[in-house]
Amino acid sequence: MATVIRMPEVLAGAAEAVISQWMIQEGQEVAVGDTLAEIETEKANVDYQAEEQGRLARVLIKPGETVEVGAPIAVFAAAGDTDDDIEAALAAAGGADAPAAAATEPAPTAEATPAPAAETHAPSSPTPPPAPAEQSPVVQNGGRIYASPLVRKRARESGIDLSQVTGTGPGGRIVKKDLESFTPAAPAAPAAPASTPATPAPAPAYSQAATGEAGYTDRPHTGMRRAIARRLTESKTTVPHFYVTADCRVEKLLEARTQMNEATGVKVSVNDWVMKAVAKALMEVPDANVIWTDEALRFFNRADIAVAVAVEGGLLTPVLRGVESMSLTQINHEVTRLATKAREGAISQAEIEGGSFSVSNLGMYGTDAFQAILNPPQSGILAVGAARDAVVVENGELVAGKVMTVNLSADHRAVDGALAAEWMKAFRHYIENPLALLA
Amino acid sequence: MLGGFTTPFFKKKGDIGYYLVYRGVDPNDGTNAVYIASDTWKKATVAKEKKLHPLEPWLEISSEKSDWDGADPTLLHSMLVQLHLIRAFEETVLELAGEGLVHGPAHSSVGQEGGAVGSIVGLRASDAINGSHRGHHQFLAKALGYVAPNGFDSAAPVTPEIQTVLQKTLAEILGLAQGFCKGRGGSMHLQWHEAGCLGTNAIVGGGVPLAAGNAWAQKHSNTEDLTVTYFGDGAVNIGSVLESMNLTAAWDIPLVFFIENNLYAVSTTVEEATAEARLSGRGVGFGVTSLRVDGMDPLAVHLTMHKAADIARSGKGPVVVEAEVYRFFHQNGAFPGSAFGYRSKEEEASWRERDPLTRMATEMISRGHITQEQVDTLRAQAQAAMSAAAAELVEQDPDGKAGVRRIKPDLWPSPDFVNVGVRGDLSELAGAKTLEASTHQGESESVRFVDAVAAVMDRRMEQDPRIVILGEDIHRLKGGTNGATKGLAEKYPGRVLGTPISENAFVGLGGGMALDGRFRPVVEFMYPDFLWVAADQVFNQIGKARHMFGGESPVPLVLRTKVAMGTGYGSQHLMDPAGIFATAPGWRIMAPSTPHDYVGMMNAALACDDPVLVIEHVDLYADKGEIPVSDLDYQIPFGTARMVREGSEVTVLSYLSMVEKTQQAIDQTGMDAELIDLRFLDQASVDWAAIEKSVQKTNAVMIVEQGARGTSYGGWLADEIQRRLFDHLDQPVLRVSGGEASPSISKVLETAAIAGVDDIVAGLEQARTNAGGGR
Repeated sequence: MATVIRMPEVLAGAAEAVISQWMIQEGQEVAVGDTLAEIETEKANVDYQAEEQGRLARVLIKPGETVEVGAPIAVFAAAGDTDDDIEAALAAAGGADAPAAAATEPAPTAEATPAPAAETHAPSSPTPPPAPAEQSPVVQNGGRIYASPLVRKRARESGIDLSQVTGTGPGGRIVKKDLESFTPAAPAAPAAPASTPATPAPAPAYSQAATGEAGYTDRPHTGMRRAIARRLTESKTTVPHFYVTADCRVEKLLEARTQMNEATGVKVSVNDWVMKAVAKALMEVPDANVIWTDEALRFFNRADIAVAVAVEGGLLTPVLRGVESMSLTQINHEVTRLATKAREGAISQAEIEGGSFSVSNLGMYGTDAFQAILNPPQSGILAVGAARDAVVVENGELVAGKVMTVNLSADHRAVDGALAAEWMKAFRHYIENPLALLA
Repeated sequence: MLGGFTTPFFKKKGDIGYYLVYRGVDPNDGTNAVYIASDTWKKATVAKEKKLHPLEPWLEISSEKSDWDGADPTLLHSMLVQLHLIRAFEETVLELAGEGLVHGPAHSSVGQEGGAVGSIVGLRASDAINGSHRGHHQFLAKALGYVAPNGFDSAAPVTPEIQTVLQKTLAEILGLAQGFCKGRGGSMHLQWHEAGCLGTNAIVGGGVPLAAGNAWAQKHSNTEDLTVTYFGDGAVNIGSVLESMNLTAAWDIPLVFFIENNLYAVSTTVEEATAEARLSGRGVGFGVTSLRVDGMDPLAVHLTMHKAADIARSGKGPVVVEAEVYRFFHQNGAFPGSAFGYRSKEEEASWRERDPLTRMATEMISRGHITQEQVDTLRAQAQAAMSAAAAELVEQDPDGKAGVRRIKPDLWPSPDFVNVGVRGDLSELAGAKTLEASTHQGESESVRFVDAVAAVMDRRMEQDPRIVILGEDIHRLKGGTNGATKGLAEKYPGRVLGTPISENAFVGLGGGMALDGRFRPVVEFMYPDFLWVAADQVFNQIGKARHMFGGESPVPLVLRTKVAMGTGYGSQHLMDPAGIFATAPGWRIMAPSTPHDYVGMMNAALACDDPVLVIEHVDLYADKGEIPVSDLDYQIPFGTARMVREGSEVTVLSYLSMVEKTQQAIDQTGMDAELIDLRFLDQASVDWAAIEKSVQKTNAVMIVEQGARGTSYGGWLADEIQRRLFDHLDQPVLRVSGGEASPSISKVLETAAIAGVDDIVAGLEQARTNAGGGR
């Protein structure tokens, strides 16, 4: 029987996606596992594979076209299907709309990591109030945000991401009141958990528009831009952040790095050492290697750490798995590999999911210190500043030293202050005693 | 079996009781007799009978040799020239139609020229005519006569003025900007008011009530002018014609009903369509002098018309003239009817022998007024004039083969002319004194709404002698059924006209008065639903007239009616007409909700050159409100809504009695709603500035009206609001209206069918829910 293939919800909560290219031409036979198409979401390019054997009878969407999740993109024909069968399938699909589509495409392809949006609400309520359902119309409506025309216009004008706004109108429609009571998160720019060059360039066009005369241009949002805006706003507004800061002495680290690079010929970066130190600290303070879920704290038995990579138009956070058991050169290789894939748009969904912790390093830009926003559902992110010359007190005397300020942002639901301080102590120990990292 | 009675006068038969009854005429005494079929036919016993006679005579008129002998040669020459000009004109139209250059039908009058020429040649310039879809010949006869007041010279038939008339008429038929109606009217809507051509009409019989109105205006302007309305055999069975015969006879209106009986309504014969195929017989029943004449004999028609005009001009009312004519071609186009199989070639040949052009020429030649050669020359000159006229309008198609012509491209109307003149520009209201209740400083008095209705009409009638009001029972019952015309009939004799129950005729008569322009009719429909009875005149004629005839003819008519929901009059009396009129181009609509507004809006309506529907509501009649003590002359600024209550949560748009009900609902809910009384409802006059300003503030709209959903007003308004204000809407446009069904007689069902305060409360609460915020 001919079946209509719909745009899968590749990324939880993604409302739309783009077919970047069809790998199978219309009319071609397909075996199970063949890649039908490459689908580009806000964050990743995904190979969409055939689950059945058959023939790609119709291609409905052109490469480059953005379509809503759940919308028909192709028709798949089994052996013996006639054109009439195909037309019938198409006609049937035309009658069904988004919700039906969601049904055939079981739930969100929601991976191991739970979708953060719905879960961060009402943390302690045993029976969730009806609000959450309405509060995330994104999920409820199969990706479509219902908002009144007025709200759409105002959001457009003031750059508000409606996926962050809770609708209280009929059916969860976002109405004027919701917009008026909505406090947007501070613009994500500096706090991005990223080594983003976050060139303050796109200092949002709307702020210039508001001042009047200054000319401006609007650069339409990319999917990634929207995702960054949505996820970070969600994080900053729903996750209770707290911060622990430490100035770390890094003379030894820099010395060790120089020696090691000379010895191996591999240019391991300071950040690679930081990654390693983070992994070690997580192993040493396992209570901090944890994330919040509605039902439980989830403890991890290895250190999966995301590293923020600046890419054109935004940032991605590929995850390094089992960093605690990697050597520095392995870390270096892996970071380089993932960063390259990220920049080329070739990173897969699997490679950006998971982890309990992130590292965001702006040290290479000379930033002394900053605070980062958590990357949900992770419970920790370390904002790493530059290793700088500083006057330090050593045995009661002022001496010249090298200091690197790090700032841990933690999810207070999962990690308490003392625990964070304990973790920071461990991290500081490793970073200030780099040989221990090699143990 | 029937004894001597083989040809019963009445052929009807029917079963009565157990007997089969035949009616017949007793040959002995001429009385009606009834025969009962039983074993043997026998005459039943009948009551004593007396033969009745029509009030006015029914005569057949024909020309005698002596008439031709004694006819003024100038008259005969004029008729011959007109016949030839019209024939050549029609042949040119057929030729252009054959080339595909006439868009739409061109109903040829070839063969029928004698009736038009004979009947029009004797009219005055100030007499008027109108006609039907087949009207070229009548239009031309009147227009040509107008530019040749001293008659025609068959040796030099085409003067520059005549050439101009021929070209402008042809241009109109081709739909070109230089036409009499700027190309809007075409073949079927030819109007030249100055020449007394009121406009031909594509609705069968539709022009007749308008002609009656024109004739009414002629009579009451103290002239002896008359109007002739032309229509065909197909129109004699339609209400507009018959109602107008009755109305003009009742009021002695100088209208000549000229029936061009060409024997076929398209392909349906007269005998098929009616038992009385002698169509002039229609007039007899209405007390109208009825004349019958051979329409192929122009002189006989002229003489008949002379008699008819004498009657009409002397104040004795209308006359029916039936002229039997024959169209040589089919309904339209250049093929004979026989080609379509509904008549024979032999029949057509026999009528062609009676061609009025031949008849006229033969009679004149035999009397030495003209020679055959001169007639041939006349024909050639007429054809040359038409070739010249056509050459001004069409040219060789540069993309076509030799001989393929096209319209000269620069002669078409500009496409942006399409909507110009649907209504007037309201310049007639410039400088009017306006006064809002909210800004009135002087002394006020409290009056009942219905008294304000009568008072402002009184004031206007006193100030403006042109105002005439007509409607059912408005002259009696102390001011009509509701007192809205109280005291006017006594104070203004002859200007308050109680009409027969024939809405189509009397509103059409009002339309004819308005188009004439010497009077300002105010027509009352006792109940709004009667608009359906009069729909042709209301929508096809009055509403479209200005635009259809080129955009410049004022139609200053006021139509009053009252919404009566809640009075138990049931399904056929209780509509709100606003929605229907709002979708009909041409009409302006007012719906006042207070006495002050009524006075000012009626003053505006009576100053406006467009047809205006003024909607009243019985619920409001007894309500009291303040009006200025000594000022009934102000207008409400045209096209402005009234802010009843300012608010922030939702904009409520309403009108008429629902304004007050909405107030109550707002008070009940405690919502901070903004209430706007629309007042002016038509698409051109709605106060968009006020609506836009309010909706931009509240971001929510609710339209409140009382009547049934289907014909309701709010649909188009909601549509337009979402288009204009989409980005300002925070929720769907809400509508409060009645149900699908028309209100029933039963009190409970009536209440359920119409919208009330509770419905508005529910609507407001919906608006509140839609606004979100978790309340």
